Amino acid sequence: MLLGIDVGGTHTDAVLIDEKKGIISKFKVKTDKKNLLSTIITALKEVTSGFDVKKITNVNLSTTLSTNAIVENRLEKTALFISSGPGIDPSNFSIGENTYIIDGSIDHRGNEVAPLDMASVEKAINECRKEGVAVFAAVTKFSTRNNRQESEIAEKIGKAADYITMGHELSSQLSFPRRAATAYYNSAVWRIYNSFIDAIIGGLENIGIEAPVNILKADGGTMPLTVSRKIPVESILSGPAASIMGIIALSNIREDSVILDIGGTTTDIAIFASGSPLIEKEGTSLEGIPTLVRSLQNRSIGIGGDSKIKIIDGEIAAGPEREGPCMADGGSVPTLVDALNYKGIIKYMDTSRSAEGIKKLAAGTKFTPEEIAEKAVSYSIRLIREEIKKILDDLNQKPVYTIHEMVHGQKISPEKMYLIGGPARALSAVMSDGIEVLVPENYDVANAIGAALARTTFETELFSDTGKGRMVMPNIGIEEQVTRKYSLEEAEADAKRHTSEYLEKSGYRIKDSDINIIESTSFRMIDDYYASGNDIRVKCQVRPGVIMYLHN
Amino acid sequence: MIKAANRLGLVFFPAYDWAISPTHPEREERLLYTQDQLKEEGIFDIKGITEIKPDIATETDIMRSHFCFPDVASVTTESHLISAGGAIRAARAVMDGEVDSAFALVRPPGHHSMKCVHGNRGFCNINNEAIMVEFIREHYKVRRIAIVDTDCHHGDGTQDIFWHDPDVLFISLHQDGRTLYPGSGHLRELGGPNARGRTINIPLPPYTSEEGFIYTIDEMVLPILEDFKPEIIINSAGQDNHYTDPITNMNFTAHGYALLNEKLKPHIAVLEGGYSIQGALPYVNLGIVLAMAGIDYSHIKEPDYDKNYSPQDEEITDYIKQLREPVLDNYFNPKPDMDRAPEGKFTLRHKNIYYDTDGIQESQREYIMTCKNCRGVLYIESSASINPPCVGIDIPVDGCSRCTKEGYRLFEEAVRQRNFITVQMTDRVNKRYERHSR
Repeated sequence: MLLGIDVGGTHTDAVLIDEKKGIISKFKVKTDKKNLLSTIITALKEVTSGFDVKKITNVNLSTTLSTNAIVENRLEKTALFISSGPGIDPSNFSIGENTYIIDGSIDHRGNEVAPLDMASVEKAINECRKEGVAVFAAVTKFSTRNNRQESEIAEKIGKAADYITMGHELSSQLSFPRRAATAYYNSAVWRIYNSFIDAIIGGLENIGIEAPVNILKADGGTMPLTVSRKIPVESILSGPAASIMGIIALSNIREDSVILDIGGTTTDIAIFASGSPLIEKEGTSLEGIPTLVRSLQNRSIGIGGDSKIKIIDGEIAAGPEREGPCMADGGSVPTLVDALNYKGIIKYMDTSRSAEGIKKLAAGTKFTPEEIAEKAVSYSIRLIREEIKKILDDLNQKPVYTIHEMVHGQKISPEKMYLIGGPARALSAVMSDGIEVLVPENYDVANAIGAALARTTFETELFSDTGKGRMVMPNIGIEEQVTRKYSLEEAEADAKRHTSEYLEKSGYRIKDSDINIIESTSFRMIDDYYASGNDIRVKCQVRPGVIMYLHN
Repeated sequence: MIKAANRLGLVFFPAYDWAISPTHPEREERLLYTQDQLKEEGIFDIKGITEIKPDIATETDIMRSHFCFPDVASVTTESHLISAGGAIRAARAVMDGEVDSAFALVRPPGHHSMKCVHGNRGFCNINNEAIMVEFIREHYKVRRIAIVDTDCHHGDGTQDIFWHDPDVLFISLHQDGRTLYPGSGHLRELGGPNARGRTINIPLPPYTSEEGFIYTIDEMVLPILEDFKPEIIINSAGQDNHYTDPITNMNFTAHGYALLNEKLKPHIAVLEGGYSIQGALPYVNLGIVLAMAGIDYSHIKEPDYDKNYSPQDEEITDYIKQLREPVLDNYFNPKPDMDRAPEGKFTLRHKNIYYDTDGIQESQREYIMTCKNCRGVLYIESSASINPPCVGIDIPVDGCSRCTKEGYRLFEEAVRQRNFITVQMTDRVNKRYERHSR
């Protein structure tokens, strides 16, 4: 049996899935934001009640703990050491009150241009000690090409720190500002996350669950609990990804498709290309701050079941304010759900209260109640459609860097639309726009299903300058000598082998065949007029996917 | 969070699968490290900076600027169409108000491509800036455009294309042609008989440094631009004036390029040459991007700056100061062309052009009508070592009825004569672009 829990902003969902019978238990409860742990324990107890917990083979947990800590600024005082070399003024990348800018420079080839100013590192460490700062982040420019200066900073901090995040360990990707922010937040949530995990383990033991625990990430994959203790920042924004993975498990998606998760306040829109979710190439943003946290592409707009209906300049609109619940559920202003109730598209709770609210809104205006309900629904649908079109335009106009992709690049044009979330079934009737609209079974707990069934994901990149005889895989700590003849084929094999070894060592459970090379380039480098080696780059990943499907 | 003071569009197209030849400076690797640097700086996350996918230029886009012999397909590859399309996309972004300014970081380059094209010269097949300018004039109500070419090599192609055009001011600052390819760009080259003073050349001595370039911008380029009052300023942003460039002898810097851009304030910049791909391009491009976006660039410095950059010799400073007067004179009091034909007649110019990359020799007889109502119909007979005689006829933007009629008469006559393998007709008045091949 597989157990999945998704702790969302409003609700916490849990499912228990039997490998043969499918979903055998599901449970939904309001999230107690002040006490996530008790919500989780309740969900765990309720969803497993009546079942033999010893038969649970895996537990996957998607939690908003890190996200909330960052959004609500419940962060530990963290020192950020950055060293940038030439470029944008590094003071732009300060976060918090303890950012220290250290002289030093590594160029885009990974050459050390200027050594680190160790005297100012030491001075900064002393300052931190005095202020009682105990968690650190060390980030230098181009550390993914050469991590030497990050390591030097970390070494110097040494025992002064309870935890140090080094930028190159988080991702192989280039982006100094994202690396600085990601490393900072990783350290800033490290303690609160780890004590939370300790509590979860205690809770699981109490219930008698002995299965390994994995944590959901924003890219729709999981990481082992022990790994997550070092990179808690990877657990942010896993909720929307869990829903997307849920749809994958519930539906047999093969074509270009649109996925809509219609909630109370917002609608999340995701696009699938040939049945696969798209990954945000650079990483997700949290509170408008770009990070290196890999994530599934997902855009949110402010329209949902609880969106308030309003009249602006004589036109009917809905959202983005949420004034939930709807009047049918005891609310005080009519919302999109009330409009759907009024039109008879759904029959949700007290429909007479919906009608009352819509009529009251219409009184004294040029609109009949029928018009208001009709226009509120069509307004919402138009907003969602426009957003879908915008996303598709962006995707199809995404820059590419080779002539081949420019000329032969595929366009995404959705053939199907999948709807989940509260008002999904209601809106499916009116959403259809010439393409097939589907509402999967059990869509109300798609998020928990996605959590339960999500596979592990991972990404790493190999970078080699054969002229210098060096090969690095930054985020898994590989640095090796290679010969001048080191080929792209050897690099690809090395990338796969090292990734596989690393994952096995770290407690991931994957098959080697799940590791795919997704980018692989070799540029011949010329100095003056002579070849000076090759610039080889190989990116491999374990794609997001589900362990099993629940559709027929 | 950093926010750009000016909204900047970046059309970045490195053409990672295209090279002139495996060890040629114009090869796949050229913009790789620039992309690394821009990514590492987080440029694409800056609010106000948008990365934009290039268009693909059409045959019509190219025929607006060039006579391609024997035809467009024979002298271009997809890479050229995308590079020119990148410039067009940058222009669209600015003209449509998506951004305040745009930088087309595209390759292959184009500024050595002349009006007639038989092949590749100076790494260029078609002229990205010229194609962009004609796209702008065809689709938007813009007439007066200035192109400032800051590539180290004389922009002889762009000069040739706008030689007879009084509405396009072309200013090229470059390493003196006596010391570098293509060998042209002297003070006396100042535009055709109908467009005197609309081509301005500023041949700078080898080892000109930051000081000399900024002096040239402040004391020569800006006063001329101020008088010309262009609606659009374009920068042909070659980066080979850098002190580390392997094929030139200048002494410019990344910081200098940024400062130059800040002063010039181009609406659109288009990348040209620049072959110090590790030591210069990442920093120069970053400098230009930040300057165009209105972001502080004072922290940009090449890794070897302290070791390898040296300030300008006094001798060079004096030499450049002496260029000021003749350069300004060329614009403000241009000497008339002694050979200029009377009204309604053609002025003939013989030209011999060598295509260094492809080893082609071309001879041209170029006729331009003297006209008081428009810039005059243009007629060129061209033969090259690889092509028998060809003809191109150009009825200019806002061409008068006499010149339009004359253009069609010349076209019909060239077709009837059957001496030419191909006759191209570019009619900007009626937006007709035709080719007659035998």
